[in-house]
Amino acid sequence: MMKTAISFTVNGRTREAFVPPRMLLSDFIRHELELPGTHVGCEHGVCGSCNVIVDGKAVRSCLMFAVQADGSDITTVEGYSTDAGLHPIQQAFWEEHGLQCGFCTPGMLAAAKELLAANPDPSDEDIREAISGNLCRCTGYEFIINAIRSAGKAMREADIQNTLQPV
Amino acid sequence: MKPSAFEYECPTDLNAVLGFLGEGTDTRILAGGQSLVPMMNYRLVAPERLIDINRVHGLDYVREEDGQIAIGALARHGDIKASALIITHLPIMAEAYGWIAHAAVRNRGTLCGNLCHADPASEMPALMQVLGATMVVSKSAGSRHVPASEFFLGTYETVVGADEMLTEVRIPIPEAGTGWAFQEVAMRKGDYAWCTVAATLRVTEGRITAPRIAVAGLADHAYRLEAQEAELDGAAPGADVFQTVAHAAAEAADPPDTEQISADYRRDLLRTLLPRVLRAAVGRAGH
Amino acid sequence: MASHLDTNVIPPSRQREAPRSGLTWIGQSIKRVEDPRILTGNGGYIDDLKMPGMAHAAMVSSPHAHARIVSIDTSKAKALPGVIGVYTGEDLAGVVDPCPSFASPPVPQHAMAMGKVRHVGEVVAAVVADDRYIAEDAAELIEVEWEVLPANVDIEASAAATGDALLHPDDRETNVALDESFSFGPVDDDFAAADRIVKRRLRWHRSSAQAIETSGVVAHYDAYKGGYTIHCNSNFYNFIPFVIGGSLRVSPGELRIVPVLTGGSFGSKVFSHKIIILTGGLSRLAGVPVKYIEDRLEHFTNSDSHGSDRLYDAELAVDKDGTFRSMRFTVMDDYGAYLQFGVGTHGNAMAQVTGPYTIGSFGMRVMAVLTNKCQQGPYRGFGSEVTNWVMERMVDAAADELDRDPVELREQNMIQPDAFPYMIPTGNIYDSGNFQKVLAEAKQMFDFDDWRAKAKAMRAEGRCVGIGLATCMERSVYGPTEWWSLNNKATPGFTLTSTPEGITARIDPSGKLFITLHSPMVGNSPETVVTQILAERLTVAPEDIVFNYSDSQTGFNGVGPQGSRFTAMIAGACVSASIKLEERLKRFGAHMLQRRPEDVELRNGMVAVRGLKDQEKSFAEIALTSSFFRLSFPDGEEFDSGLETTAVYDHPLSTDPDEDRKHLGIFYPIVGHICHIVAVEVDPGTGKVEMLDYAAVHDNGTIVNPRTLAGQVWGGTANGIGTTLSEQFHYNADGQFTNPNFAEFAMPTANEMPRNFNLGHVETPSPYTEYGIKGGGEGGRLGAPSALTSAIENALQDYGVKIAALPVTPPVLRGLIRDAEKIAAE
Repeated sequence: MMKTAISFTVNGRTREAFVPPRMLLSDFIRHELELPGTHVGCEHGVCGSCNVIVDGKAVRSCLMFAVQADGSDITTVEGYSTDAGLHPIQQAFWEEHGLQCGFCTPGMLAAAKELLAANPDPSDEDIREAISGNLCRCTGYEFIINAIRSAGKAMREADIQNTLQPV
Repeated sequence: MKPSAFEYECPTDLNAVLGFLGEGTDTRILAGGQSLVPMMNYRLVAPERLIDINRVHGLDYVREEDGQIAIGALARHGDIKASALIITHLPIMAEAYGWIAHAAVRNRGTLCGNLCHADPASEMPALMQVLGATMVVSKSAGSRHVPASEFFLGTYETVVGADEMLTEVRIPIPEAGTGWAFQEVAMRKGDYAWCTVAATLRVTEGRITAPRIAVAGLADHAYRLEAQEAELDGAAPGADVFQTVAHAAAEAADPPDTEQISADYRRDLLRTLLPRVLRAAVGRAGH
Repeated sequence: MASHLDTNVIPPSRQREAPRSGLTWIGQSIKRVEDPRILTGNGGYIDDLKMPGMAHAAMVSSPHAHARIVSIDTSKAKALPGVIGVYTGEDLAGVVDPCPSFASPPVPQHAMAMGKVRHVGEVVAAVVADDRYIAEDAAELIEVEWEVLPANVDIEASAAATGDALLHPDDRETNVALDESFSFGPVDDDFAAADRIVKRRLRWHRSSAQAIETSGVVAHYDAYKGGYTIHCNSNFYNFIPFVIGGSLRVSPGELRIVPVLTGGSFGSKVFSHKIIILTGGLSRLAGVPVKYIEDRLEHFTNSDSHGSDRLYDAELAVDKDGTFRSMRFTVMDDYGAYLQFGVGTHGNAMAQVTGPYTIGSFGMRVMAVLTNKCQQGPYRGFGSEVTNWVMERMVDAAADELDRDPVELREQNMIQPDAFPYMIPTGNIYDSGNFQKVLAEAKQMFDFDDWRAKAKAMRAEGRCVGIGLATCMERSVYGPTEWWSLNNKATPGFTLTSTPEGITARIDPSGKLFITLHSPMVGNSPETVVTQILAERLTVAPEDIVFNYSDSQTGFNGVGPQGSRFTAMIAGACVSASIKLEERLKRFGAHMLQRRPEDVELRNGMVAVRGLKDQEKSFAEIALTSSFFRLSFPDGEEFDSGLETTAVYDHPLSTDPDEDRKHLGIFYPIVGHICHIVAVEVDPGTGKVEMLDYAAVHDNGTIVNPRTLAGQVWGGTANGIGTTLSEQFHYNADGQFTNPNFAEFAMPTANEMPRNFNLGHVETPSPYTEYGIKGGGEGGRLGAPSALTSAIENALQDYGVKIAALPVTPPVLRGLIRDAEKIAAE
């Protein structure tokens, strides 16, 4: 099968690859780049588990082909934490019990990151709306909402710029 | 759930796109991909070739031109929703977008792609008709302008030919003082709606003028309620007349009747939503 | 006590750690131990696993609900480059035997269909290829010729089906796999004596858990390296691997089942035996490691985890003064095409079928009906979520007919706080409780009287606002007799009576406490719970505890998280292990301190001399010395090197069913209690329901970690809201499953959850479990449907709408309102 050469940045690192056009970005990230934190829940664009940040926006990686990421800047959950520790949003999910099985969590984190970058002090309704495209079957969402609210507060207080690029 | 193999082209200018479309193979345009790719993953469709238009320069605009808002083929829902031009001049679109899908889908999905997908339950086809949009349909030989009311032919079917592409939507800026409203009922917020009702109107000296109403979810494509518009034109707004036109519209509707969503239910929704929409639109109309 | 229960004697308590205040770790909302690796993307789920030479499987699934397979042509698929092998049911049967079944007599099931298919989505052929894309390409090239048979979709019609419509004509001349009747106590006498019999026909429709991760397996068969190594996200792997080995035709010595972190189960991955057998067999046939992860469509249509799908004809015998005398019902359950767990979901419901009420007798006829749908499996509640709803519907119906306040009627019939342990007519006991206190707290939290007045005022303005209240039981810590006690007593099947949970603990020479768990994590918090209990019992620091998970060859008894058992059961195992470790720590430590073991105690990770401050040895010093300096201790096996122990904890309180099934014994005795109250507004023109306010008070005994318990309650409540308002599997008359996707099977998003959700706890400790812990994994879904249904009915009281079926989706509810409007207009 014909493969296409692509180059891109993932979690701050420049990479190159040859991909068949039909390879979904989700499969590419998981199985070719071996970054398993991006999860696949439905492959029809509803559950949001596969959300990653491409060029500053949260997108469904199961609805993009890897070839389309040529030249893009991709951030996955593996790019959120640093040697210094968890990203403040991850830390808030931990402290507020924003996850149980953890399968939806990377997608939730991407949605939260995008929200807080645009709106550092969101209302609970803003948070609900921002994560309404991400299904969670464990939590009933309450603690996820608490976590995002608390992350926003922590980041405002510490004056942390929440860029959508890897830190 | 993996797509079948396809050939992939990624041109950077529109002429090249239209050239590929004219070649006559089983080709689909890949814009936002938010409807196409799920269908490919399920292998409900398996095009031989995809023309990815995401790298075509200069198609992602939302701009004001000659009293119209022009929206390019690559303008994405999220950008349109957030556009100051839309919020100022077409607040009904900004409002409706709150009910359409979710942020990550709106980040990729395009208005033109959504219109060409022509899902009968989709909201924007109704809005385009209410707003009197013109669709610019292009091929290598040139472009034609199609009124939104003539664009949709049926479920997943539009006037766009295999060698054509919807390159732009032009929406006239409503006159100042135009009232508007949009309501829908779906299982969950963000789902395709069982019934969508959108309206614009003006109120002049206590009378409704220039009413435009469109509905989605009630047939194989969105449509205008022209008979009810005629009934309302010149009428004094009020609960009685709203009820009357809502009943008439519901009686005239011939919605799909499925095991889960009966035709009666969809008619009930129209009967319920239309007066609410008209009341809200009148409330927003400048006097 | 009624005489039929006289033989059911309650055993004495085996509790060692009494419930008490002043605990250090138990009761704290510590952050979860499991989270950092998951939050950073390194959880290690099944699809994260890669093996050298691993190939990928894709399936050809049946497009028909019921059909004979006339022929399968795999030639084109085999010729596709990248394809390693293509296999049919006959090929697979060359290396595996039929799936295990707990039903008795069993309903035979093959991992891949043989001869005919019995539901849409059943696998008829498989491709093993270099990658999943190619495997799916090849699957499309397989041509199957079908002879379509009549599809059984409706429960009642299927129960009467004959001829070609029979699902398993070689085994039984009927689609009714089980039809048994029971009478627990003097049901007929009680009904004859009652003033009134309240009757309702109630329907609970099919849905399922739909965890965001599907089921998956990576299997490798290598005859020269010990047989099968199978990684999977099953929860049950360590308890009965030999059963799966039987189907794979290997001994447990040739089968190693390795757990992985599971992306949600809610019961759906309790066993997952079919996918293990299927993938294992494919690996053996193809000669390479094979990965098969269900896609979402396959998970909907073929994962053997559909939930209850029941039709009840229920009767409640009541007196004029509102006293409940007896209840009975006939229930038909649409189990789908197979019956993997028999009627375990009805056995489960017998644990609390009479609810929190004093009802003297109970009778039932249960019919397990086979239809052309994917078979049932466990889903949060395991059948009791339905009987809770039936009970509460019947109480509301009785209140209606007697013109009584539904809350007062509940209070009148509630079991009193001094009546525990309380034995219900089926023989199960409620170990403890204070239902009145839970109700009072919930009413206070909700501001119940105020809300009632507000709702009345809103209704007077024409708004459809109503309040629903449900008081329900939450049985926990299941005993396995539920699987078989309702089987025909002549053919009870595998009469299992054990559900142990084990733990292995070792203090290494550095002083770290290494724990091996024998059940996987599925979204519960096993490491956090064990950390809190061991920190409490052994005074170790939580950060000094390290976790590992065993596999089926290195492991010990572990039944896993199901039936709200894990926390209470692992707490028991932790206490057992702690007692053994403490004894060894004290023996070695006392020797090092030159004291007698009875003179020392555990203190802050030390063995210390009682009453003396500086006389102490850390666990690390003791472990180091006991591991490396054997000559520092006397001869004798009591000083064998190292600090290690394995402990097992058996069910704390269970008895056998009566031989004649006059009662079912004690099998699910550690009961919680829940009260949910919700205010809703219905839009009568659209049928949309909005939750205005929500209060839930749960009593789960002693709470180990309030926040993780709250997470379970919220999650379960979200499931219950979905079950009530939006989630249903739709099959059309041809047996086509019409909404097997997340766009149309509408699970709640954050937008669909109530905005004001208040959660409270009452703690009535169990007298039977360690520290008084009760399970709490299912309560939300056990309470929400009843409260919400009641609230909607209350909101629509002016229309006279009655709700007798769930889910009550907007179109369904609008239909009920439309019918009521028509009647009112006539």
